[in-house]
Formats: sequence, C-alpha cells, structure tokens
Amino acid sequence: MDNTNPTPDQSGSSTVSRRTFLKKSTLVPLAGLSGMVEIKPAPLPKRIMTPPDARDTVNCALIGFGQWGRELASTLARIPEANLAAVCDNYEVMLRRAQRDVPQASTHTDYREVLDNPDIQAVLIATPTHQHRTIALDALAAGKNVYCEAPMASTIDDAKAMAQAARDASNQIFQVGQIYRSNPQHRSVFQFIRSGAVGTPTMARAQWHAKQSWRRTSPNRQRERDLNWRLDADVSTGLMGEVGLHQLDVAFWILGALPTAVTGFGQTMLWDDGRQVPDTVQAVFEFPNGMHLLYDATLASSYDDAYELFFGSDSTIIFRDRGKAWMFKEVDAPLLGWEVYARKDKFYKETGIALLANATQLDAQNQDPTEDDPNVETPLWYALKDFMDNHAFGPYPPAADYQRGYEAAVVAIKANEAINQNTKLTFDEAWFSLD
Amino acid sequence: METVRLALEAMATRFELVLHGDDAVRLRAAGEEALAEIKRLEAQLSFYRPSSEISRINAQAADGPVRVEPRLFRLLQTARRLHDETGGVFDLTIAPLMRCWGFVNDTGHLPDTEVLAEARRRTGMHLLTLDEAAFTVAFARPGVQLDLGAIGKGYAIEEAAQTLTDAGVESAFLHGGTSTIHAIGTPPDEESWNVAVSYPDASTDTPTNDDVLAVVPLANEALSVSAVWGKAFVADGTTYGHVIDPRSGRPVEGALLAAAAGPSAMICDALSTALLVLGREAKERIGHFSDIMRAMVVCPADETDGFEMIEAGIPAFQDVKRET
Repeated sequence: MDNTNPTPDQSGSSTVSRRTFLKKSTLVPLAGLSGMVEIKPAPLPKRIMTPPDARDTVNCALIGFGQWGRELASTLARIPEANLAAVCDNYEVMLRRAQRDVPQASTHTDYREVLDNPDIQAVLIATPTHQHRTIALDALAAGKNVYCEAPMASTIDDAKAMAQAARDASNQIFQVGQIYRSNPQHRSVFQFIRSGAVGTPTMARAQWHAKQSWRRTSPNRQRERDLNWRLDADVSTGLMGEVGLHQLDVAFWILGALPTAVTGFGQTMLWDDGRQVPDTVQAVFEFPNGMHLLYDATLASSYDDAYELFFGSDSTIIFRDRGKAWMFKEVDAPLLGWEVYARKDKFYKETGIALLANATQLDAQNQDPTEDDPNVETPLWYALKDFMDNHAFGPYPPAADYQRGYEAAVVAIKANEAINQNTKLTFDEAWFSLD
Repeated sequence: METVRLALEAMATRFELVLHGDDAVRLRAAGEEALAEIKRLEAQLSFYRPSSEISRINAQAADGPVRVEPRLFRLLQTARRLHDETGGVFDLTIAPLMRCWGFVNDTGHLPDTEVLAEARRRTGMHLLTLDEAAFTVAFARPGVQLDLGAIGKGYAIEEAAQTLTDAGVESAFLHGGTSTIHAIGTPPDEESWNVAVSYPDASTDTPTNDDVLAVVPLANEALSVSAVWGKAFVADGTTYGHVIDPRSGRPVEGALLAAAAGPSAMICDALSTALLVLGREAKERIGHFSDIMRAMVVCPADETDGFEMIEAGIPAFQDVKRET
C-alpha cells in the first residue's frame, strides 16, 4: 500500500500543467491562502480487489456477536480472503441472529469448541473488554492467530499477561483493534505531519460527543446485567477506555510519544440512573516535550461529534467524518505548492484544504484526484484486511501489535482512574514495560 | 406506564420512535439500539457515501462478482422477486434513467434520444447476477447502478423493529419521514395505532378531518405511503408524468398516492413505490403481490380535478373528493 508522504511539486517549473502537477504530488491539498485542505487516502492497489485463490482463504471464528461483533461479521463478509466459519456467543438469542446473518457459519455457546477445531486459523474477540484476557490466552495457547478488540483489557495485569503471551507466540499474529493504525488516510497524514507540515507542534485536542444512555436492555434480566458491563464501575474502563482509547492511540502515534501524566475529571450530568461510570469526562495529558493533549467525551450532547485536532505553528490538521482529514493553514505559513489545486471545504469561519493521499493513483485511474476516492473502505475494513494479509504474507508485527495495544490500554486505564478520582496521575515508565 | 420518544436524522430524513412500557430507562436503551441499527444500515446502503457497501458494488460489480453481506444479499433477492411480481415496475437499477430525465433534484426534462437509449441499456434487474452459493453480485455491463432508495428505508425500519422486539418492547411506533411505519403491539388501552393518510393535496402543517383520506389501524404491522414528489412537465407539446416507469424507460402519470400495509416494512416500502408507478394498472396487478395484505391507490380522476381511489383493503375515511 502506497503511503507516500504528501509532497509539494519539486519541479520548480512555473509551466507545469495541473495534471502533471497532480501526478507529482501524492497528497492534493492546501490553499495558499489561509485555509484548510482535506487529506485523502489512497485508492486500493488492484491486488486487494482481486479475489484470491481458495487456498488463501482464512477460516475465522468470531467470539462475541453483540453490536460490535456483528459489525466485524458484516465487514469480514466484504473481504474476499476472510471466511467467517464459526460464531460464538454465550447468549442463544445472539446465536440465532448469527444463523440469520452469517448462514455459512457454525454457532457455538462455548468458544473452546472453535479453539479445538484445527480448521480455524484465526479468532476475533469482540466480547466485553474484561473477558478478553481468558479468551485471548486460550486462543494463543491453541495456536490461533488473534484479532482482539480494543481496549485489549480492562486491567493492566490482564493487558500485560496478554501482551507477554503475544510476544512469546512470535509465530502467531496478535493484532489489537486500534483500527486507525491500518487506515490509509491516517497513515498518509501521519507521514505528512512527521514531515513537518504543521511547523512546530504546539497542542492537540480531541473529543467524542454523543447523546445516548450507553445502557442496553434485554427481556432476560441476567443478560441485561451482562450487557451493561460498560456501566459497571468494577469492570468498565469508562468513556476513556471504550471510545477515547482509539483517539489517544492516534495521538500517541502522530506525536510519537506516550504521556507522562494525566489529570482527569468525571461527572454524571444527564443519565442519573444510579450509574457509577461518569457520562461526561475531561482529561489533560502531558507529553515529554511539554505539549498537552486536551480530551473530552460525553454521552449528554452530540454537538460537533468526534474529531482529533493537531495544532502547529504553520497549520492545524483535523481528522473527522470517518477518517477524513483537512488542513488549516496559517496566513504566514510557507507555500507548499499543491494546496492551490486542492479541494477546499467550508468549516464555519474556516476553509479547510482537503488532504488527499495518492492523487497519483487516482489520476492514473482517470479519477479526479480532488474527489473522494470511490473505492474507499471503512477504517475497520482496512484493519481486518491487514489482519488477513498478515496470514498470506506474514507473520509480521501488525501496525497495532501487542505493544501498541498494551501501551494504549495502560494509558486509558490510568486515565480512567484519574477521571474517577478527579486527580492527577504521573505515569511511571515501568508501567509500559512488559518485563 | 411510561412513554419515551427518540429521533434520528439518517437516510436524508427524520426517524421518530415512541415507546410505551413500565421502565423508561430500559425503553430508551431499546430505542437507542434500534436507531443505532438504522444508522448502521445507512452506512451500508447509502448511494452517495463512497465507503458504503452499495457504492462498492456500484464501483466494482461490472468488473466481476462482488461479495456482499448475506443480509444485503437476501435484500437484493427480495428486490428481484418484487421486480418479477410487479411485472418489472419495481426496479433498483433505475438511477441512470432518473438522471437522464432530470428527475434528480430537478423537475424533469426531455433527454436526448441517444442518452435515453444508453440509460435504458444500463437499466433492468436482468443485468444483475446474484450467486447464492457465494453471496456475490455482478453486473452484466458497466454503468449499471443499484440505488436502494425505494426499499432501504423500509428495510432499516424492519430491522430496527426487530431489534426492539428482541429487546422485549411490546408497544412502539417507528416511522421514517412519516412515509414508512412499523407499529409494534398497540398503544396502552387501545386496539391499534391509527395512522391517518392525508389527501395528496392536503396541507400537512395543520391537517383537519377534511384532509384525511384514510385511517389505517395498525397492530404489529407496517405501512408505507408513497406520493409523487415532483410535477409533471411539458416538452414539445407533450405532458410527461411524475414517475419513471422502468418498463418503458419513460415518465408516466401513474398515481398521486399509494399505500401498502403488511407484515414487512421493507416490502410495503417497495410495493407502495410500485403501486405509484402502476396507477390504474394496479387493479389488475395487485392480485399478483404475495406479501401485502392491504393497499390503496389514488389516481387523478378522468373527468374532473378530483381523485379516483382504488381500494384493496384500505377503505376511504369518508367519501372521496370528486371535486377539489
């Protein structure tokens, strides 16, 4: 996959045609005026669109057929190399649903049955977070490749045990569901930012806003208690773990560092139904170079949805709208060149320059490089596709490997602690060590 | 008895949900899950979103078979069956025709003969190959496009209603854009959810009894109402109708309004659209429909400015206006 850094035209020629120009730049962005540019991902290489031979098919078992498990199942259905051969859930109603949604798959109430099946190569774990450890360790011990949803665990002990087991099983794949690490858009912008396009990085901010109770229901009361694990303070990692972790992971990746401290605040502002897990949280993360990341998440308001912002002295970059990216340039920032041709989108009083990865390929396919890529997939699709490709070409360390999964889990779990105690916690470097 | 109301903007319309039950917290939880299912299906079925499964099929199925989610595959199989039952009137491939007649964000215009011929070559469910063993979809030629606009909302409502039932909800009313509805159970102490369908020309801001064309009682049942969305247009002295008939590739007068009620919101949605195209022809065709239980079609009257109504289980609320 081509993740070439977006670069300005290097020719220096003033007569270069727009088409030639676009061919020379892999990211088509930025207005020379103060503004913002959308950053776009690459179209898929042809290989990805070609159904593989049957021998390349990976037999998968999905453990956990709740809301997110079903999302995994429907995404796997669109990946030619993936054969979802078995679905496990400890609730019969979910298995009946699986029989309807995934008719080719066998169904099991006990996940050990699929671990004992030598035809199953890969296991995808989408159970409640606090149940990941046992299943992941059993799956690794059974020799399976593992895709484990994020956060990989709800306690540092669990996360460490899983990461150590994954490290020791070096001939098996262990990928954590930190899906943006596989997203072509994020990979492209990562390199763009690392190349210095934002100038001096100064601050980061991220939010996740939704209006929803986070409560689940079922006619079966025991099932209902089980379903509401996110609201059970004994096992839940809260908003920071269940949603914030994905955004934190992007920040750690882009900033190239893990935080040194976190100060957290949590409140229950709307869903005062006896829950112990706050519905509204804020946290300030401190980084080694003195930079801060401000984070907030709420279940009480949907205003402005979710995004991650990276501020710099020359420009600010935003990720939002399912993996799209735009750049807002300062008026005194150096002219990059290609921004003149980029698509601009209005954002209230700002104009964003659409950042597009691999305009060259789109142009070669006779597609307008300033338009959305017609072959774009969801971030989850790219993550699962990476997992499947690793079976064919690996095993190699996935972008979201056990170490990245472990680090993100440690930060999210500790940040959740800080939030629950309304306090500041300083990170001990030893927490991130697997030894 | 508690009442909880929820709403969602999705599929370019507004979905609303009312739930009755003993526990507001649990009702809301069930409602949120149902609306989340609609959002999920919007992301899967959107014609406009590049990352949707439909967009992917449209981009790739002319090059070879594209594997799709089994549930979406079954939806396409159902659409093909409805195509056959309606004699080709219900068709998911009419997007090229809609565009060439200017029926997308426009009031319509006469297309160039060659442009129309090309659009017709790209239209028709026979251009779709569905492989049940592999869950794949393939197009017979480039330029074919699936647009689930005439069935997607009903499908989303049906799936959302199933989510509510699975969660134990016994009394709820869910609609999308006031045109497709699914009613679970009945309201407290009532025999049915009673839905009023207004005349095609009625003001919907402050409807009165005179505006009511029919009242449809629903209990564990769906209803879909389709009405013409544009005006007929005149070109070269010929009047062209409101809706595209996929059989001829041309706009027809059709009906002004059509309603279908039955167990499946998805099928009601699709068939109310088909009845709208069929117009008076619905009288002969409706007997071939295997799914709907009740229907009604309102056509412009021949001799007057009033309406003519074809009743098939949904009676008029009062004497149908013959004059307006």
